[in-house]
Amino acid sequence: MTARRAPLEGIRVADFTWVWAGPFCTLQLAHLGAEVIRVETATRVCVTRMLPPFAEFKPGKNRSGYFNQFNQGKKSVTLDMKQPDALAVAKRLCESSDIVVENFAAGVMDRMGLGYEVLRALRPDVIMIALSGYGASGPDHDKVSYGPAQVPLSGMSALTGYRGFPPMHVGVSYGDPTGGLHGAVAVLAALLHRAKTGQGQYIDLSQWETSMAVLPEGLLAQTMNGASPERDGNRDPHMAPHGVFRTGGGDDRWVAIAIEDDAAWRRCTEIMGQPELAADARFATVVARKQHEDALEEVVTAWTMTHEPGDVTARLQAAGIPAFTVATNHDLADDPHLAARGYFVELEHPEVGVRKHAGVPWTMSASDSRVRRAAPCLGADTDQVLRDVCGYDDATIARLRDAKVLA
Amino acid sequence: MAGALDGLRVLEIGDLVGASYATKMLADLGADVVKIERPGRGDRSRQRGPFPGGTSHPEKSGLFLYLNTNKRGITLDLTSSRGHEVLDRLVRDADLLVHEVHPTDMAAHGLDWERLSAINPQLVMTSIAPFGMRGPHAAYRGSDVVTWSAGGIAQLNGDPQHPELPPLKAFGDQSGFQAGLNAAIPSLAALFARIGSGHGEHIEVSTQESIAAILELTFEYWPYCGLVASRLGAKPIQPLCFMECRDGWIFICCVEEHQWRAFVEIMGNPEWAEMELFENRLARGANFDALQVFLQEWCATQSVQELYDAAQARRVPFAPVSTMGDLVASPHLQARGFFATIDHPVAGAVTMPGAPWRMSATPWTLRRPAPCLGQHNAEVLGAIGLDASVLAAEGLL
Repeated sequence: MTARRAPLEGIRVADFTWVWAGPFCTLQLAHLGAEVIRVETATRVCVTRMLPPFAEFKPGKNRSGYFNQFNQGKKSVTLDMKQPDALAVAKRLCESSDIVVENFAAGVMDRMGLGYEVLRALRPDVIMIALSGYGASGPDHDKVSYGPAQVPLSGMSALTGYRGFPPMHVGVSYGDPTGGLHGAVAVLAALLHRAKTGQGQYIDLSQWETSMAVLPEGLLAQTMNGASPERDGNRDPHMAPHGVFRTGGGDDRWVAIAIEDDAAWRRCTEIMGQPELAADARFATVVARKQHEDALEEVVTAWTMTHEPGDVTARLQAAGIPAFTVATNHDLADDPHLAARGYFVELEHPEVGVRKHAGVPWTMSASDSRVRRAAPCLGADTDQVLRDVCGYDDATIARLRDAKVLA
Repeated sequence: MAGALDGLRVLEIGDLVGASYATKMLADLGADVVKIERPGRGDRSRQRGPFPGGTSHPEKSGLFLYLNTNKRGITLDLTSSRGHEVLDRLVRDADLLVHEVHPTDMAAHGLDWERLSAINPQLVMTSIAPFGMRGPHAAYRGSDVVTWSAGGIAQLNGDPQHPELPPLKAFGDQSGFQAGLNAAIPSLAALFARIGSGHGEHIEVSTQESIAAILELTFEYWPYCGLVASRLGAKPIQPLCFMECRDGWIFICCVEEHQWRAFVEIMGNPEWAEMELFENRLARGANFDALQVFLQEWCATQSVQELYDAAQARRVPFAPVSTMGDLVASPHLQARGFFATIDHPVAGAVTMPGAPWRMSATPWTLRRPAPCLGQHNAEVLGAIGLDASVLAAEGLL
């Protein structure tokens, strides 16, 4: 049996990203075995290095769970792009990279002297992707965007919320991972094209647009009928009961349930010990249940309140009905199913030791895809990368360090 | 210019969003995707809408029309052994098969990896399952609200002032989109690996894990600090909040101190803003109840567009709470040609989100509308030497 190879073994990524969207794009490439080299600046470190949670509440630029989650498997090089000699180092890195990824505001890479035309002259088959907030063209291209702002900008907030309540967020800066994953798809497609033709290319990705790509039901309601769906909590236009119901077993415990058709509702009423509900004219069909949804939810809640969420889940799932506890981060960390699957990654990190991190949501039967190392400490790989990737000798590296280029 | 994935042959057995979105991205990049639907009802997204005029019709569902652009479609009864034989023939010529048939039902649908890879050793097969194919919950069923909750996001969204309201899911089948993205990535990677290895492989994608992978900074609160993240907790930093203006809603976004100073300037340097209560972002987080009152009073007199423009002019990343109408009418999105229109034989002209990225060498294209149910039976089956009318007479299509 031959050793398992990583799909992107031998592919190098110069990673000029920060915060979440860009790093999430390059995280996928790292899972697939690419050598991802994050270029950081010690004088202005990635926002996520400075955000909580810090291990044991002790702040430190290598101690943030946020950074350490989304930069697993990558290397870190520090380079102060304000120093004149830094540009030559960055260019050498890009020249020996297959892929260059950045998520600055539009135009920033050009101003640093690392625009696509410059990089293409150095390396004609380079694949470069820019994940900006608004895209590289159009009247708003120079507007600034932070992750949390993409949720309202994309229309998702207008559609998400409790009935009769204001627009809402979705719990995370959803535009970031959605943009990052779309970016990884585009980069992999470009790699396949390059393998076939030898041709590289430039990819302009707008996080605003990738955030709208996942909202077809809202946007097509507008283009078809000139009307937007109203915010309707956890309800679904075609299923009932459908939502998140309070349970027993604690003050704030909940279970999600989706009854997909009338047959599932009949099975559910039997599990609830109230088979007469299936014959109740208010609840017999999905149309009737949608009309009497408030009463329906009261009936379901009266039952779920007498059980723990795990108990509701087990009973409904045994009858083939989708249901699951609304999981907290603690629930996930202790989930026996995720543990049995080996989802969480526990690798030694020099400053925070072994911590549980989310791993790879897919497995491949022949290729080696996994988290290969813990997130890097700031600048941990500077010397190795300058020597082995950029080809500088020790004396040059020492000179660059003295000149504060490698900070 | 050719598409990045021209010549790639893909089979899809999708239902709702996951597999359909994974292969839509590939189809829009040039791949030849054949969608296999169950005879009769077809993909459930045909029943979901939105529908023109609100009238349900299986060929007019907006969700289906969007998710299946550039694909050809056939119907095939995969629960019969004759259906498996037809699937085997299709697999012989395929590079990639993406499906989301539940693990419990895969064998009955002819989706046996050993057999399919023996027929075509170059095949890549990607299986999307709500809880994955292995582990104690592998037989569990999923639906968006369930996997969104099981993956840990629902728990993060709610209204701290209304603890009686439940954890809230996001609009639409977002679990499906995340699973589709997480299916497309390893699928393309496996096709890239195949160039060197000459053989395909089987990929398994867990929707629950796809959600657990995007909890931003919240998951790590447990392993790093022993804290449970809740939808009812206060935000540490403010203002990062929705405010109602006189003509709509805006999102106020001041992460950095200079952004707050710029916002104070826009508000005309009111005296209250100099109170100690609001002296830094953490203080503003701790005293958000008070801050909110001042901000709401001022914002109520403003227009969304003017405040958005004023903030952006100072490089402060405010954003409007866009309505669907705002987006369709946006001059920026129009200038980028984001929305695309295609004629469908039954639904007529349909306008939908277009290219999610611009690739300089390989265009995103809209070559054909989503298929009608069984539209390409004769064409696709004929190409592999089968007579669709004979199969139809057998009740397979």
